[in-house]
Amino acid sequence: MSTLDSTVAVGASALTRPVRVRLALAVGGFGALAVATCLLAPLVGSTTISLARVFDRSIPFSENVDAQIFFIARMPRVLAGAVTGATLAAAGVVFQAMLRNPLATPFTLGVSAGASLGAMTAIIFGTAIAVGPLSIVPLASLLGAGLAAAIVYWLATLRDRAMSTTVLLLAGVTLNAFFSALILFLQYLTNFAEVYRAMRWIMGDLDVGSFQPILAVLPLVAIAFAMFALLPSSLNLLSVGSDAAAARGVNVARTQRLAFVSASLATAAAVSLAGPIGFIGIIVPHLVRLLVGVDHRVVLPASALFGAAFLVACDVGSRTILAPLEVPVGVITALLGGPFFLWLLVRKG
Amino acid sequence: MLRGTELSYGYASDRGDGRSFSLREVSVDVPRGSLTGLLGPNGCGKTTLLRLLAGILTPRHGSVALNGRPLASLSRREIARHIAVIPQETHPAFDYTVMEMVLMGRHPHLGPLQLEGPADLALAREALSATGTEHLAARAYMTLSGGEKQRVIIASALTQASEVLLLDEPTASLDLGYQLEVATLLTRLNRERSVTMLLATHDLNLAAALCDRLVLMREGRVLAQGPTNDVLTAPMVRQLYGVVADVRYHEGAGHLTVIPVSRER
Amino acid sequence: MAARPKGLTRLTLVVLLALAATGAAQQGAAAPKRIVSLVPALTEMLFAFGAGPQVVGVSSYDDFPPEVKSLPRVGALLDPDMERILSLRPDFVITYGSQTDVQTQLARAKIRAFSYRHAGLDSVLSTIRNLGTSVGRARESERLARDIQGRLDATRARVAKLRPLRTLLVFERDPASLRGVYASGGYGFMHDILGVAGGTDMFDDVSRESVQPSVETILARAPEVILEVRPMGVAKADIEKERHAWDALPSVPAVRNGRVYIATDEYLVVPGPRVAQAAEAIARILHPEAFR
Repeated sequence: MSTLDSTVAVGASALTRPVRVRLALAVGGFGALAVATCLLAPLVGSTTISLARVFDRSIPFSENVDAQIFFIARMPRVLAGAVTGATLAAAGVVFQAMLRNPLATPFTLGVSAGASLGAMTAIIFGTAIAVGPLSIVPLASLLGAGLAAAIVYWLATLRDRAMSTTVLLLAGVTLNAFFSALILFLQYLTNFAEVYRAMRWIMGDLDVGSFQPILAVLPLVAIAFAMFALLPSSLNLLSVGSDAAAARGVNVARTQRLAFVSASLATAAAVSLAGPIGFIGIIVPHLVRLLVGVDHRVVLPASALFGAAFLVACDVGSRTILAPLEVPVGVITALLGGPFFLWLLVRKG
Repeated sequence: MLRGTELSYGYASDRGDGRSFSLREVSVDVPRGSLTGLLGPNGCGKTTLLRLLAGILTPRHGSVALNGRPLASLSRREIARHIAVIPQETHPAFDYTVMEMVLMGRHPHLGPLQLEGPADLALAREALSATGTEHLAARAYMTLSGGEKQRVIIASALTQASEVLLLDEPTASLDLGYQLEVATLLTRLNRERSVTMLLATHDLNLAAALCDRLVLMREGRVLAQGPTNDVLTAPMVRQLYGVVADVRYHEGAGHLTVIPVSRER
Repeated sequence: MAARPKGLTRLTLVVLLALAATGAAQQGAAAPKRIVSLVPALTEMLFAFGAGPQVVGVSSYDDFPPEVKSLPRVGALLDPDMERILSLRPDFVITYGSQTDVQTQLARAKIRAFSYRHAGLDSVLSTIRNLGTSVGRARESERLARDIQGRLDATRARVAKLRPLRTLLVFERDPASLRGVYASGGYGFMHDILGVAGGTDMFDDVSRESVQPSVETILARAPEVILEVRPMGVAKADIEKERHAWDALPSVPAVRNGRVYIATDEYLVVPGPRVAQAAEAIARILHPEAFR
């Protein structure tokens, strides 16, 4: 039997299809889902609007409430959801590969706790400051995230250039606990309105109100994704074993550092835009792996696309379930995440 | 073909008593086409030496040369195209299929963003068939038996199409039957495909059975190296392990055997 | 002859005793001499009906009237300092209704406590009366309450003929953006003041103390006036800049007609004696034509 025949015979099984084909199918399928979700989401909301009125040019924009709801309230929100969902899902995949653990999340290493501390500090103390056209809250949040990431990076590279996963996890857990304590302390010091707003921020909020906050984090997201593009095949090898990867030509130390920096940057950007929305970074990669296998070259792009669709869909729920009140989107993802994990555990058991 | 010269390497000491060297001035020669065994008690530095020879670690002193070219002058990818390593244990963190595991061996031959093509797939299939694991291609790696796993790992090393294969305790965790399987496979690969092999092991009989050359190590130094029949003697075993042993040629097996008798007083 | 004077004596004795008892009762419920207040609004009330001199300790957030600035601080809602409170040897302590620990400790120390809960405008007036009575200033507090009620009624009358304006009453939001808007939800004394001043709370139907509306909700409900009452959130110099944050929503009538206001006076958010002033100020903002 020639090798060509063997290849064809075995190709019947989905997972032995060449990765090119799987990648094309995954990107095509999830991409279509993401696009469809983003196109349909602005049509739904707590207020009924007429699409005809939205696009009616004869009404001046400043008087067209339907158009304003569509273009000012909903579209930026859908875009923010897509960007945040894609970013958190992709960061989740990279952290899981880097920590060799499918249960890792973008928040495991303390980046999100740093972002929350920064935002909290800004909400409580910096109420009157705005830097240029940007509110200080997202900026402070980025600074906090950067601080947390820098501390973890420094601790993890102290003895081992290749960033020992044990030290990473310990540093992350410690930082999470410490920053959470600081956040509680800050809340204790302040008055009601600020505590309430701070709590609300922690539950996640995609209502950006304009494209500006999205544009502000877009450069960071773009850099993170550019770094992500270089990682997948190295991540595959790395997740089989450090020595095996090195022996196959992977620069282990550089890959670990690149993974850490890019995933932390992505998480920082997403959290500063919309607050720490949990479970995206773990539900989406898991679901995607169930469908496309575990090859990171497929899982990473597929997760980004599915993450976008998923968060936008959750936000639609957030806006409509208890209208006119909004259920914070972080609560929706948590309500979905809990049962999902129970189901996973039951399945594995 | 692969030569390590005056290699020294140390791990930073936790007790703060200064650097302790786990390898001292080790010189090793692995001739082309040979099946060389690296023998010694646990902790003698076998794994460290293997990692140095593969270019995974950089020696503090000394150098490693591949066909006369120093490893330091080659990129990691280039080294990987010539030298493959089979580590002691493989525990993937994710549920890869056998095919995916085997295709990982093609990594050093692909560009940074390049995906495997039909040629790579063909090589993978060939490696699977050479190790008798073709029928396992679509299976999840983690569901295989010990022997099957080891053969898949060998297949992935084959896919790397390297001239040299470094193995760290390839049969340590295997049952007797699988040990024989893997040993037979290695011998066949060495003979039929001229893969030069260096095998680190503490199993004297395995080394005697497989290897035509031996390097004996103790406490970070080379005790002796040369053809198996010359090097594997009772006095040597005594020096290496502190054990009185009977070393004799076994007609049926066709190679030396080592039978431990008693501990040295 | 001897029985009648004995009966009269007995009656007189009883009457005298009764008078003495009432006197004693009044002595027992006599005006407290050392009052500690954890609630700034109620501190203001005390000073407003003349019990100021008896105040010996105030909360960390008190700053009106000016006399309180020199008084010792005993913490606030989340961090009441029992030691400091007790060290001031009070005989009357005003606490928040939710501070049950403080109340328990006061009860054990046999110190009178007066507990207060946030509610609507009516409860501000009834609190003035109750508190006044408790500290032996029933007459003065009754007068104060009537006075405030009178002023509120006057304001209400002034704007009675005018159409109430649909108002978005904002308590807080992120600087220079419309995120994190924290607004009145149709309940509470601020909401009631708004009603007196001739405005309709945009979230009247929701009936919560506060809501965090989305941009879409604000656009859909189209308020005619946006009134931000943020004494701590905005520096006077930034008011103009912050008003323009609302320009992002041009279809909102309040934005179109330039009726976006940011008020930073402290008294506007205190549920105390100055509510009448607050109502007037807000009425002037909503219906300037009624004050010409």
